[in-house]
Parts: sequence; C-alpha cells; structure tokens
Amino acid sequence: MKTIRASRFAPYLLRLSPYFLAMVVAFGVIGVLITLLGYNALEAFHTIVFVPLGSAYGLAETFKKFVPLLLATFAYAIPFKARLFNIGGWGQLLSGGIAAAVVGLALVDSHLPSPVFVLVLLLVGLLAGALWALVPAGLAAYFAVNPIISTIMMNFIAVYLVNYVATTDPWKAPLTGHAMTLPLPEEGWLPSLVLGVHAGIIVAIIANAAVYFLMNKSVIGYEIKATGANPIAARAFGIDVKRAILVSLILGGAIAGIGGAIEVMGIHHRLVEGFEMTGGAQYGVLGILTALICAGDPLGVPIAAFFMSVLLIGADAMQRTMGIPVEIVFVIQVLVVLFVVLARKVKLG
Amino acid sequence: MLETITLFLELVAMTLVPYALCSLGIMIGGRTGVFNISGEGIMLMGASTGFLGAYFAGNSAVGLFLALIVGGCLGLLLAYLTETLKINQFIIGICLYIFGMGLADLLYKIIIGVQLTPPLVQSLPKILIPGLSQVPVLDALLNQNALVYLTYALTPVLYYVLYKTRLGLNTRAVGENPKVADVVGINVVRTRYTCTMIGGMLMGLAGAYLPLVFTGTYMPLIAGGRGFMAIGLAIFGSWRPERIFAGSFLFAGIEVLAFRMQILKIAVPYQFLLMLPFIAVLILMGVFYKRAEFPAAIGSPYSRE
Repeated sequence: MKTIRASRFAPYLLRLSPYFLAMVVAFGVIGVLITLLGYNALEAFHTIVFVPLGSAYGLAETFKKFVPLLLATFAYAIPFKARLFNIGGWGQLLSGGIAAAVVGLALVDSHLPSPVFVLVLLLVGLLAGALWALVPAGLAAYFAVNPIISTIMMNFIAVYLVNYVATTDPWKAPLTGHAMTLPLPEEGWLPSLVLGVHAGIIVAIIANAAVYFLMNKSVIGYEIKATGANPIAARAFGIDVKRAILVSLILGGAIAGIGGAIEVMGIHHRLVEGFEMTGGAQYGVLGILTALICAGDPLGVPIAAFFMSVLLIGADAMQRTMGIPVEIVFVIQVLVVLFVVLARKVKLG
Repeated sequence: MLETITLFLELVAMTLVPYALCSLGIMIGGRTGVFNISGEGIMLMGASTGFLGAYFAGNSAVGLFLALIVGGCLGLLLAYLTETLKINQFIIGICLYIFGMGLADLLYKIIIGVQLTPPLVQSLPKILIPGLSQVPVLDALLNQNALVYLTYALTPVLYYVLYKTRLGLNTRAVGENPKVADVVGINVVRTRYTCTMIGGMLMGLAGAYLPLVFTGTYMPLIAGGRGFMAIGLAIFGSWRPERIFAGSFLFAGIEVLAFRMQILKIAVPYQFLLMLPFIAVLILMGVFYKRAEFPAAIGSPYSRE
C-alpha cells in the first residue's frame, strides 16, 4: 500500500523538487551575501519569516502587498504565454490609479451609492490599464515592434502623467510637501474587511479565477498559448495571431489597471506620487519576477505572489530592526528567480 | 542666434554620451548574437560605483575605472547565464536590470547612508583642443569632457573595426551564422563573452557619466530610462555605430529641447515635455521597426549539436 501511495505523490514531489532545491541554494547565497555586507544572516532569515507570518498584523500587511502584486503579475504573465515580454505593468498600474483618481474626483458631487461608485472606479481603472497597453499591443500586432521597449516607454510617460495630475489644479491637494491629489469621496473607497485588509482582495481573487478560466478553458486562451508556442504554426492552423497578441497584452494591462485603481481606492484614498512603489520597488517590476517564478501559470501566481509579499514585508522589517536597506529585496528576489528558472531548465532539459 | 545654436550644440554633445555609449555597448554584444537589454541596470550600477569610486578616491578617473570594471563583470555574468547556462536572454536581461537597480541603491545606502545634503563629486573637467576650440560652432563640440571625445572617437573606430577588418568580419559572422563561424575556426563562445563584456563596460561608463557630469551625486533611478531608449537606438540604428551616433544626437537634442522649453515656461506643462523623448521612441519604432535589420542569430545561445 505504502509504495502505491508514494508513487501517486511522486510526480508532484518531483515537479516541486527543483523549486525547493532552488530556494535552498538561493537562500544559501543570500545568507552569504548578507554576512558579507556585515549583517547577521540568521537574524535576517528569522525576520523575513516571522514578521510577515508570525502575527495577525504582519499577515494583514503581507496581504496588503499581495493584492497589487498579484494583479501586476498578470500584466506580465498573460502576454508571457504568447511569448511577449510586457515590462509595462508599472505604467499600466499607474494609469489605472490615475484614471480612478481623476474620475473619482470628478464624481465628488454625484452622490452615487458606494457599491456603484466602487464598481465604476474599478471599471475605469481596468479601461485605463487596457488603454495603456493598447499602444504597445497595436505596435506589436501591426508593426511587429517588440513590446519590451514600447511598454517601458509607456511606463515613463505614465510616471510623468502621475506627477502632472498630482501637482496641477483642479486635482492637486493644497499645502502638501509630497505630490498628491485631493482625497476621493468616501463612497469611492474600498471597504476595509479585517485589520486594514480591504475588499480589493476579493477583486484580486475574482480576477485570478477569471484569468485561470480564460487561459485554460477558453478558445482565446488556447490561441494565446498556441501563438506563444509557435506563431508560424499557429497562423498556419488558422489562429488569428494578431488578435492573440492584442488580447494578451490588453488583458494583462487591464488587470494591472485594476490593481492601480485598487491601490488608490483601498490604501491611499487619493493619487499619491509613488503609490505604485513599496520600499523603492515598483509592483510592476516585482510582478515580472513573480511571474517568472511560476512561469506565468495562473494557479502558481497567487502562491508566488504571496511568497514575494512575505519577502517584501520581511525586507521592510529588516530595514527597521537591522538597518539593512530595503533594496536588498531586489537582490534576494532576483537570486530566487534565477535559481528557480535554472532549476526548471535543468529539469526540463 | 549663433550663440543659441552654439549653446544648444554644446549641451547636445554633452547629453548624447550616455545614450551613445550604452547603445554602442548593446550593439557590440548584439552583433555577436547576445541581446543585452539590461543596460539600464548596468548603467545604474556604473552610476553608483562610479560615484563611490570618485568620491572616496577624490579622483573621477578612479570612479570611471571602477564603473568600467563593474560593467564588464555584469556583462560577463550575462554571457555566462545566457551562453553557458542557456537561459533566455530577455529573461536574464530583465533580471539583471532589476538586480542592478537594487544593488546600485543598496551599495550607495550602505556606504553613504541617507543624508540631508548629498555628498558631491567634482564634474569631469572640460578639455580644450588647441586651435580648434576657438572656431565658431566647432567650439561647441570641442569644449567638452573626456568622455565626449571618447564617444566621438569610438564611433569611427568601431565602424572601422566592424566593417574593414578581419576581426570585425569574424565578430559579425558569429552574430549572423554562428555555425558557419564555428566551422571556419572562429571561437563563437569566446567572441560572445568578449563582446558582451566590452558592451557591459561601455554601459558602466555610460552610467558613471551621469553622476560625474550631470548631477554630481548618485540618486535612485538616475538613469531615467536612457538604458532602455538605448535599446531603441540600437534597433533603429540597424546595429551600426554611425547610425547609433546619429540617433544619440537626435535623442540628446530632444532631451535638451524639452529641458530648455521647461525653463522658457512654454504653455505646455513641463511633464508633457519630459514625455517627449519616450513618445519619440514609440513613433520612431513604429516607423522603423519593420525595416530594422537584426543580426540573424540574436537571442539564441550557440550549441554545437
């Protein structure tokens, strides 16, 4: 009996074993690095694990990072299935936040009931993110421009647009040192559920489920994956490759746009310059690493995003208690990604 | 009028250096088949280590040298991960960009810390060319720091090496058809390693230029997207040094114009002016991308089987 059971679980364990091995090696290297920088590695690891996971407060903070990170991850993960590299999650998230803030402030006197207001702003964020991805998507589909560069250009345009909205009338808040807009009316805020974790987490879960079904159970999902596997063969079999390119990029952008709207509506309640950053890192950029860990698999994304959120809160805590600059989180995450990608490659090869 | 033109040219020549050096670096690696998209991250590392070296040695040459070495090491790392371990060049490029961005800030914060008034280094001295630096208009281009002259010199040198020498022919062969290159006895892997390293060195220098000429100090995100625009430059410069130089001149011109218009208080909000270089890249790519030629073997590692 025992052997049968073992053999049933063996494939799963075998599939996961490269990840575990990669983690062990990655954290070994990180430990050496932290020691070389002159800090106590054991204390660092203890902080990384126990602050984000060891208390209800820490867990709540972790989930607050999890929501935007999960949504930003899909900006990269969905086009990645079509072998397109969308580095524009950053800008798409920003545009969602800008749109939610501008429309929210325009509706100050509308007296819409809160659920309607919230839905309108989420939809606006979705549309803005989609619009921001539309330019690179169009360039990719009709002019064969690699989205790597075009999406990055859109990021910088969005950064300046945030600054414009947050420092210009009628949106800007008077008498603040930091660039930000006036607060949204309370009807547009996402309600807090528990310990400051807001309703955005429900939106994130719904979005995750929707992406799963779209990618794995729908025709367009199949077409996107076929395009990624071999665009020439896909075209030969009658798949509209242009449509797959457009849909994958725009869908990714739309979800990142929702993420931006959620940050504005749930955390800051206004557009703040730098709202898309956490400890010097943009969610959009971290989303790329998150997607690479799980190879963009919609069921793997929440696990990877939660893991990355733990690292983010852990790095925040390391800065507070040990004085390690929070930017170390970039280095840690890149090392994890590198070893995971490498392990997956060795396994497949 | 003449004064305005002179001032404009002087600023453009000064501003084009990071674009040109980074883009030439991308071109050198790309010509052998290694597409290094991590220029922004390597530039940030160059900016951070270049500043630290110049600050602690009290000598900007030390900073430049340090940035050169660091950039070369990152180039080698990229070559190892993509050629030897054969991981996708774009994935490694993105990782290295994020790694460089994080490590650059980390080093600065650990070594300097957070201070109210940032520590400053002296900017690179201007070097005059006897005789020529007095000629009108020409004086704008020849009243510059050493790295501007390096960029002037590097462009024709790279052109000559790539198109007029056996070494250049071999290098291009590795990027166009590595198998044939291997058959005729060119060491494909060594060529790719060497060129990616040299490319990384140029990116490191491009990064060090920012604190040593523009700002006098390091700050997060100091590269401001130039490393990415340089990719665009390499592409619609068709991977040719002379076109990349011309493109750098254009980008620097747009940057200087946007900056000048901001000072002149033109009715357009300055944020929209600062968007101009990025919008220009989008338009140029839409126009030129289909016609752009790529080295045929770019993006894929070489293996003999």
